[in-house]
Amino acid sequence: MKISKKILVGCLALAVALSSVVFLHASALSTLMTSRQIQQIRDNCVTAKNTLNQLHASDALLRVNIGQTYESISTKMMEKFNKRASNNNYNNDSLVSVTNAYGQTLDVFRSDYIAYEEHLSTALSINCQDQPVSFFDAVALARAERNQVHTDVVRLNQYLDKYQTALNQFEKDYQDAVKGAKQ
Amino acid sequence: MDEPKVMAIVNEMSNSGKRRFLLFIIMSMIVSSVLVVVSMQLYNSSGAAQLDLSRPGYISVRSQAMIDNSDFGDYSSTGSINQSAITEFKSLYKKQAQKTKAVDAFGGDPLSAKALGLN
Repeated sequence: MKISKKILVGCLALAVALSSVVFLHASALSTLMTSRQIQQIRDNCVTAKNTLNQLHASDALLRVNIGQTYESISTKMMEKFNKRASNNNYNNDSLVSVTNAYGQTLDVFRSDYIAYEEHLSTALSINCQDQPVSFFDAVALARAERNQVHTDVVRLNQYLDKYQTALNQFEKDYQDAVKGAKQ
Repeated sequence: MDEPKVMAIVNEMSNSGKRRFLLFIIMSMIVSSVLVVVSMQLYNSSGAAQLDLSRPGYISVRSQAMIDNSDFGDYSSTGSINQSAITEFKSLYKKQAQKTKAVDAFGGDPLSAKALGLN
């Protein structure tokens, strides 16, 4: 019984300490904004929300369309050519390696987009008249996630270039092999 | 067996049947509620919710979703490898890669405080 009381007291102390940290953090965030900035958020609340709603919809469309394109490049092009090269006993290691890295980046892109959409939805659900600071912070989090999604897109495009380079090398190797067979 | 006794037994069975039917309805509602919660959880966590343009907020963009991507061609994974097959694939791939890279997806900074008029 004594032990359980000690545990209870310990848990209470921990809860108080944690809530203090959270409160201090929240206070620190709030103090970073001046009352003028807070008023500006309230003034532009409706406009900002409309812009966010439009962005939410246009980014969803972009995610569907570009995600489908990236997916099709992988399944309808890269994988098919790799398989064809493999079936004909050509060395396709570099092509497969780039395809795998591309696939992994595509998975990261998918999960990062989910995180971005969730943060943006959170921002949209906050009443910016009543909670301007929370709204500002939620938008900042969504912005960071969107930048991450953009980074993923840039990486995917780099893999498209790498596959092109690997393809050029494959063609060169093929031509060398054909020349070697003729001689 | 006299008539009042028979009536009492019939009534008792009828009440028992009603209770069982009620229990059956309640259990069905509980099971269906659990299944709905699980499926909604899967819908949200799998990323399907983010791709579902039939949601109310996406009405304005729904019609612009790419339905047909037949311009990817139908490159076969079978067949021989020769110069013509490589050239055909390179041409298809280059076209799609250029088209994809031309889109500055998720670029810019529309969520900046300045763009939203928040600073």
